[in-house]
Amino acid sequence: MRATVAQYYPGISLVHRFDPRCKVVAVAVLVVALFVRDGFAALAVFAAVGVAGLALSRVPLAWVWRALRPVLWLMALTFVLQALFGPGDEFWSVGPLHVSRRGLEQAAFLSVRLIVIVVIGSLLTFTTSPIALTDALAWLGRPLRRLRVPTEELALMATIALRFIPTLFEETDTIMRAQRARGADFSRGGPVRRARALLPVLVPLFVMSFRRADDLALAMEARCYTPGVARTRLHPMQARPRDALLLLLVAATIVAAMLV
Amino acid sequence: MGVAIPLIRLRGLRYRYGGAGADALDGLDLDVEAGEFLVVVGRNGSGKSTLARLLGGLDRPTAAGEAIVAGHDITTPDGRLAARRDVGVLFQNPENQLVGATVEEDVAFGLENLALPQREIRDRVDGMLTAFGLDDLRTRQPHLLSGGQKQRTALAGVLAIPRLALVLDEPTAMLDPAGRRDVLAAVSGQWRDGLTIVYVTQEMDEVALGTRVLAVDAGRAIFSGTPAELFGDTAAVERLGLGLPPAAEVAVALAELGRPLRNVPLSAAELVGELSDAQAGDAR
Amino acid sequence: MTSGGLEVVCERVSFAYEEGRQPVPALADVDFRVGAGERVALLGPTGSGKSTLLQVVRGLLRPDGGSVRLGDLAPDDTGYGELQRQIGLVFQQPELQLFAATARDDVAYGPRQLGWSEEDVETATAEALATVGLDPAEHGPRHPYSLSGGEQRRLALAGVLAMRPRVLLLDEPFVSLDPPARRDLSQVLHSLMARGMGLVLATHDVDRAWALCDRRVVLAAGRVVAAGTWDLGSGGERVLGEYGLEVPFLVDLWSRLGRPLATTPRSAREAAEMLA
Repeated sequence: MRATVAQYYPGISLVHRFDPRCKVVAVAVLVVALFVRDGFAALAVFAAVGVAGLALSRVPLAWVWRALRPVLWLMALTFVLQALFGPGDEFWSVGPLHVSRRGLEQAAFLSVRLIVIVVIGSLLTFTTSPIALTDALAWLGRPLRRLRVPTEELALMATIALRFIPTLFEETDTIMRAQRARGADFSRGGPVRRARALLPVLVPLFVMSFRRADDLALAMEARCYTPGVARTRLHPMQARPRDALLLLLVAATIVAAMLV
Repeated sequence: MGVAIPLIRLRGLRYRYGGAGADALDGLDLDVEAGEFLVVVGRNGSGKSTLARLLGGLDRPTAAGEAIVAGHDITTPDGRLAARRDVGVLFQNPENQLVGATVEEDVAFGLENLALPQREIRDRVDGMLTAFGLDDLRTRQPHLLSGGQKQRTALAGVLAIPRLALVLDEPTAMLDPAGRRDVLAAVSGQWRDGLTIVYVTQEMDEVALGTRVLAVDAGRAIFSGTPAELFGDTAAVERLGLGLPPAAEVAVALAELGRPLRNVPLSAAELVGELSDAQAGDAR
Repeated sequence: MTSGGLEVVCERVSFAYEEGRQPVPALADVDFRVGAGERVALLGPTGSGKSTLLQVVRGLLRPDGGSVRLGDLAPDDTGYGELQRQIGLVFQQPELQLFAATARDDVAYGPRQLGWSEEDVETATAEALATVGLDPAEHGPRHPYSLSGGEQRRLALAGVLAMRPRVLLLDEPFVSLDPPARRDLSQVLHSLMARGMGLVLATHDVDRAWALCDRRVVLAAGRVVAAGTWDLGSGGERVLGEYGLEVPFLVDLWSRLGRPLATTPRSAREAAEMLA
């Protein structure tokens, strides 16, 4: 579970090969449209697109399930809250709790919409590597440079941070085991006690991270990295005709959702 | 035939960490000729790591009479930037040098920083991956590599930028014997292709790799000569906080027992040779 | 606090790490034994499973197959956990785990976690510091990071010794140390040996293993490929070469000199005496 970040599932499907910038825009636009357009019919259109996308991406169902599972809790909570506190005439009640037909409908709609949003968003994270995603966001965020926001540097920082996440997990594991070998117990006591028990893990982690930052900065400078200087890329992003197709599809989806 | 200008020329090099405290480098003098394989030894705190960093143009000397590295004056900011381009530096911790999400991304990093055209980056990266046996690991994520593979990737990344010299700061300290052999083979290969090497190490059996060894102590160059000359002076070895290759340890022990060998052996083979010479000498 | 050695017997131990989509096997059917007070070297390249085996022995990882007997006890017996706590395990680069404000407090952490009285903690800490060659009065109050690299490593070792282990597991204790620091650490280990402390030395530094241990177990890709006393017959430890390790220098030397390997010396000094 830990080795992959943001649930990226490497592959060569059509969805994988769309330009990441277009994918980000597509997903953003679809999600906004989902919020704007009410109604089960429209929801069905978006859901169909989501499912079709998943099928095209060839990401295994087990993978999809693992990503969706945590959201199901949220969905259940949304459903219950909406059902209990939604507006409308009650037709069933238990004690102080009332449920109305309209409330149920709303609950169903909101829950399903949540799932569809997660599915469409996951299409992005399943098929786009974290570096590609960072590059796309950096490119899209270029206008921010006028406001002195260092988008390129931030993107590089994000990429490097992502690269070290598995390493950090391993190191945390190791330190925890080493301190357990000295009698540390991370599972007992209330929140305060547990927090204090984590000190022998957190201090070394922080120290290692600072040392690492120093070492990395030196290694990067040794390879002629200079902040602020424009860099070229080994794998530059290249928009292709198929990306225009993607954007057309998105437009078509929205039109269809508006019409049903 | 004219006199060759040394690739590296340092006179009175000083470096002090910010604030008070002893100088990490206290008037170090050094000449390194192009094509040399210089091994640098010294105890922890002797200044050898500082020297490595300064040679790579990665830090500003506090003072120097002269500090020319690959034709650049590293006391000036422009000189240091230029030195960073011509002198590569490989560090001890393989993990803390890799920034790319995959092996090929990391090897490309330096070339991307120089804003080279994509085609050229592609070609150089492919060449480096092949040269260092990393073709099969092209898309591997760094945390899945062994120590030796990480260090080879880092080396490929450093040398992706064409260099005049390569400085290595204890590059094998964290590796197992196989990893160490791989890195040493790669470095030796580069040296044979004409790259000047400055190799800082605490592993005494790596000293024999070099054409010359420099011993550093308290920020100064104390000794320069052949490994045999260095290890033959047991008092100096002790004083400088160095160790001995195992063969030399046996030779030193023999000398203490009153049975010195003619030359200081650096390997088992040399020791065997010296022992049979000594026996032949006794027989006469 | 019982004294005396502790026997550890691993029988057909298997272990795999849960990682990403598939479990990553680390140990397969490993048989491993260290008798009370014995010194055994665990040799193998990185990735061969040495660290994993040490952690399984100590009980930080639960084996998927096989079992670890400690003394007379099996894993389900009462008192087994107590015996596990009497095994000292020093991780790789243990100075990375120093976290307290003073050297003394870091060493005292282990004994305190064991619930000892402040008096016992005090004594154990001072003893441990002295054992590793640090002066409780001089080094105790200092911040761990103000010590040299070699001193920090010995400090981390003191942190484990303060818990008065009956057997000591060391994971690559000599990595990244300069020669003087290696000598200092070697001396500490020799003094522990002299006191009868059982030792498992996981390392790829075969020369140190040769100097300190009578027996060795060679691991490769999670399996035991050789076990027992050093192979001083005609094999001459060639098996090590097959797995990317080096033959101990003195064994190689004796072999080149054509002398019977059974007489191979354990130190340079001994070698010189035999050659003089």
